[in-house]
Amino acid sequence: MKVLVTGAGGFLGRHVVKCLLEHGHGVRAIVRPASMVPPWNGEVELFRADLRVSNVLESAFIGIDAVLHLAAATSGNEDAQFASTVVATERFLSAMAVSPVNRLIHVSSLVVYDWARAKGTMDENTPLQVDPYGMGGYTIAKVWQERVVTKFARDNSWNLTIMRPGFIWGVQHTEIAGMGRSFGRDYVMFGPLTRLPLCHVANCAHCLVAAVEAPAAISQTFNVVDGDDITVWHYLREYTRRTGQRALLLPVPYIAGYGIANLASFTSRLLFGNKGKLPSLLTPRRFESQFKPIRFSNRKLKQILAWTPPFGFEQCLNLTYGEKS
Amino acid sequence: MKKLRGAVIGCGAIAREHLAAVAQLENVEIVALCDLSPARAEATAERFGVSTWFTSHEQLLANIRPDLVHVTTPPSSHFPIAKDCLSAGLNVLCEKPITLDYETFKQLKRQAQDQNCLLMENQNFRFHSCIRRIFELLDAGNIGEIVDAQICISLNIYGPGSLYVDANAAHSAMILRGGVIGDFLPHIAYLACLCTGPVTDLRTIWSKHRGGSPLSTDEFRSIIKGERATAYVSFSGNGQPDGFWVRVAGTKAHVETNLFEPPRLTLRRLRRGEPSLTRLIDGIVEAKDVLKGSAAGLWRKLGGVSSYDGLPELIKRTYTAVETGGAPPVALDEIDSTVDLVDRFTREDFKL
Repeated sequence: MKVLVTGAGGFLGRHVVKCLLEHGHGVRAIVRPASMVPPWNGEVELFRADLRVSNVLESAFIGIDAVLHLAAATSGNEDAQFASTVVATERFLSAMAVSPVNRLIHVSSLVVYDWARAKGTMDENTPLQVDPYGMGGYTIAKVWQERVVTKFARDNSWNLTIMRPGFIWGVQHTEIAGMGRSFGRDYVMFGPLTRLPLCHVANCAHCLVAAVEAPAAISQTFNVVDGDDITVWHYLREYTRRTGQRALLLPVPYIAGYGIANLASFTSRLLFGNKGKLPSLLTPRRFESQFKPIRFSNRKLKQILAWTPPFGFEQCLNLTYGEKS
Repeated sequence: MKKLRGAVIGCGAIAREHLAAVAQLENVEIVALCDLSPARAEATAERFGVSTWFTSHEQLLANIRPDLVHVTTPPSSHFPIAKDCLSAGLNVLCEKPITLDYETFKQLKRQAQDQNCLLMENQNFRFHSCIRRIFELLDAGNIGEIVDAQICISLNIYGPGSLYVDANAAHSAMILRGGVIGDFLPHIAYLACLCTGPVTDLRTIWSKHRGGSPLSTDEFRSIIKGERATAYVSFSGNGQPDGFWVRVAGTKAHVETNLFEPPRLTLRRLRRGEPSLTRLIDGIVEAKDVLKGSAAGLWRKLGGVSSYDGLPELIKRTYTAVETGGAPPVALDEIDSTVDLVDRFTREDFKL
């Protein structure tokens, strides 16, 4: 199979390309013109383009069997993230719409769910965000990106699969939102026993390739998590130990942090009405979307794709930080 | 009450500031939005409760007849869009810089006069609370006559993730003379003109501090001689921390403020008495002003007051002018002086 990968030069993209090659697929990788190209040694067909501005995207689809759309911004202001994630996707899919390619695997995120309405276990039936504007730029962009992808797929009768990974981590990407906040060299954990929706980048890439290969994945949406057996405390302890930090890990019950956020929000409404602005830690909805103590299921992945993560947590730690001495 | 109808063309970051400002006006409603990106237009419409959106300004103008069109697109499209709006007999509030050069502005100006339409450039810092405070002090005679003004912007255009130096997609301001600095020159120009009066002479230096940068220039300085006073204006892409400093030296007092951190403003008066004692009093007064201004700044931030401090007032006055047919908040001739001065900053002395 020949797969077109957007965001191929990024953190997840590089792992996906490697995994596709290992599974014997051909890869055409879209990499921004000024970005460094990973050491692919000629095994990968390189397509230089920035989806925000390129006018030659149509030719990227020639001879392609499936598209894996990873491109998205993870930093920058709200406007920049919207442009890089949503407007870029619109332009890319407009080009795909005039090609004969009809298989699309879109990489979304768990942030598209409404965490406030998630009860017990977050799965693919959890309600989606309908009003993302009180959240950060990343959430707004990912919600709208998925809306755009879904509309294009419906209008063009594409075979769409949506993959929603949890916290993707790996080498040089070990700091995740759910692990709390650092204050100086110490860390505050909000809900130390909360389970994390971890998804190691190597496992995530493996899962995405499984979705490319499986006809059963068509018209399905999957939450991509390795499991939910690792707690915030466990993750943070390994993180500080393996990065050699002598940090104090301060546990704060989730309900205490959430209570403080609600109190701050109430005070802000009292003083400023709906115009008040608070940092994300003191905004209840944003606090919930990072620390809410719920469980995360990958049952659908197991049932439909028969996928299980190839690497356990200990192996992922070793892949990320190197073998323990 | 019949509401005034507005339309916004271009749904980027600055459009959200316009929409938030309009939302505070009880007698105005935004009836349509437009953006080349359907998702951006729809997302903005959903966020601000606007019922109609388009993906071309021609479609919008063919279907909607607003009382005022906000043109909030990148600079290169200001002229053609504003021209089409004026041709349709519509009033226009355009983002800065209103045009890419003085010649095209003159065409727009003529058209606005011929069509009897209002044409405004977003010169929001004129209505910034600190600038208004400075002119209140001037009017009250507390500063005396203005002798000199300093208007200095420092902005880290090379910061992490800066769109100004995105090597993959050129920033929309890169087409301006002066590059990304050109995006800030209108603010510098109209604030300078406010203090100096009509400009009679100027000397400008453009330079590049950081080698290997994709920008053609990252530093700008100019000394202006006006009919009333002189001004030193600058933009530094390297000097830190970020700030938009305005310092007005008068015959009785100096006043200083950072427009990025309103409402902090310090005033140093001419005092009589023992110099060592007056210096102490000055220090105490200044410390009190700084503390009070900083606390008020934090309060404003928590209260969600936009960093575009003067924009709501500019927009309010613009709609009032539309409604009453009265004078616009910035006269066409004042916009003319601004565009002319920006043109002079970049005309002869800008070296690529």
